[in-house]
Amino acid sequence: MHITEGFLPPLHAAAWTAVSLPFVAVSVYRVNRLMREKPEIKLLLAASGAFAFVISALKLPSITGSCSHATGTGLGAILFGPSVMALLGTIVLAFQTLLLAHGGITTLGANVFSMAIVGPWVAYAVLRGAQGLRAPLAFSVFLAAMLGDWATYLTTAGQLALAFPDPTSGIAGSFLKFASVFAPTQLPLAVIEGLLTVVIVNFLREYSSEELRNLRFLPKTLVSEARL
Amino acid sequence: MRAIDHHAWTNRWRDWHPVEKGLPAVGLLTLTFVLPPLSTAPLVLASATLITVYGAGIPWKTLLSVLAAPAAFLLAGIPFLAISMDFTAGIDLTLSLEGLRLALTTVIRALAAMSCLAFLILTTPLTDGVLLLRRVGVPAGMIELILLMYRLIFVFAERALTGRQAQAGRLGYSRLDRSVRSLGLLGGNLFQRALDQARRLEIGLMARGYTGELCVLSPPWELSRWRLVAGIAGISLIGLVSSGLARSLS
Repeated sequence: MHITEGFLPPLHAAAWTAVSLPFVAVSVYRVNRLMREKPEIKLLLAASGAFAFVISALKLPSITGSCSHATGTGLGAILFGPSVMALLGTIVLAFQTLLLAHGGITTLGANVFSMAIVGPWVAYAVLRGAQGLRAPLAFSVFLAAMLGDWATYLTTAGQLALAFPDPTSGIAGSFLKFASVFAPTQLPLAVIEGLLTVVIVNFLREYSSEELRNLRFLPKTLVSEARL
Repeated sequence: MRAIDHHAWTNRWRDWHPVEKGLPAVGLLTLTFVLPPLSTAPLVLASATLITVYGAGIPWKTLLSVLAAPAAFLLAGIPFLAISMDFTAGIDLTLSLEGLRLALTTVIRALAAMSCLAFLILTTPLTDGVLLLRRVGVPAGMIELILLMYRLIFVFAERALTGRQAQAGRLGYSRLDRSVRSLGLLGGNLFQRALDQARRLEIGLMARGYTGELCVLSPPWELSRWRLVAGIAGISLIGLVSSGLARSLS
């Protein structure tokens, strides 16, 4: 769920950019070092980023009738790990702004925080936790992708609530308003995306184990966490 | 996606230095945020629209479709800015004048900011802006990563569309459960092909002596002084007029 260009007041836009910056900077530093050690990683990351963009541009079948898109947040965190996702997600979000007019330049920081930082980390933590409890892989992947999406959506609702507190009931009331207005589309969407991620991961395990092994060098991913 | 990229590469101002187009876009965007929105935003919206349509020669239809991109988000979010909710005694909804004012300023500010963004993305190809990033100190490796990704996006998008068409032709999207399955298979396939493509690129480049840097030529841009001056003059004029308006209104 992208916050539109110009929607956030200037102070909030600047603050969210400042919050996201260190995460992205650390990710840039790490990826840069990885790329210097192994130049071919650049091609792999470029292909992965382009894949993430295309996946997020595919229209999802929707129950409520509104046109919705996948976020790819959970899948990205599972395949590439949250520390790489901060950078890949930021580039994908910037591309979405510049090629599709989704999101905005001033709201990029806020969108990066919810979709490239909170979402992937929650998805990764859930995957790791579920695998730690010896849950079946398909169930862990479903849970990771779905909860990652929910975390993203609640973060966005929180960002909007902080920017526009309700005159009578304050931030809490405003959060409730924004969370409930986007719930009818976002909650079922996350379930669909969870199922979709399971189908993709199953497909990859069955037919692309060779390719998945190429991702082994990335820290904190499905390959290292879920013992593929 | 195709429409925006197409116009970015073919508009009348395509050969201008990206700074000459970035300056008005960023300048107007800054004005929208710094000055009171009610007096500034309509002026910014009008001027950004005029330079996009009559300056760069972008069709109205394309511009309107870009401006409409956030419409769903605005339509869902705005009413809730105007309505305030009190749940101390049950749920009590009230429409306040203050809330309406907030909703109005937010919509008009978002539209004005969107028009600046539309001007920039419809006149400047993404790669031009990225080449500028190099001059502000973004690592060369990152810039290459972005440019490679830009290229691959179009390759994969074409594959995704073809695959989707083939699936739809076999009734792959006729029911919700089938749609999820089809889309999952499409995504998995796409990822497999993406990694395969990366490996083949790698082998091809290695055979040509790739050491971690792709050399590309920058287009021979020249900064035109009068365009820069005209841009700055335009922005200052709009800033002056709108702050004057704000003062006379209050």
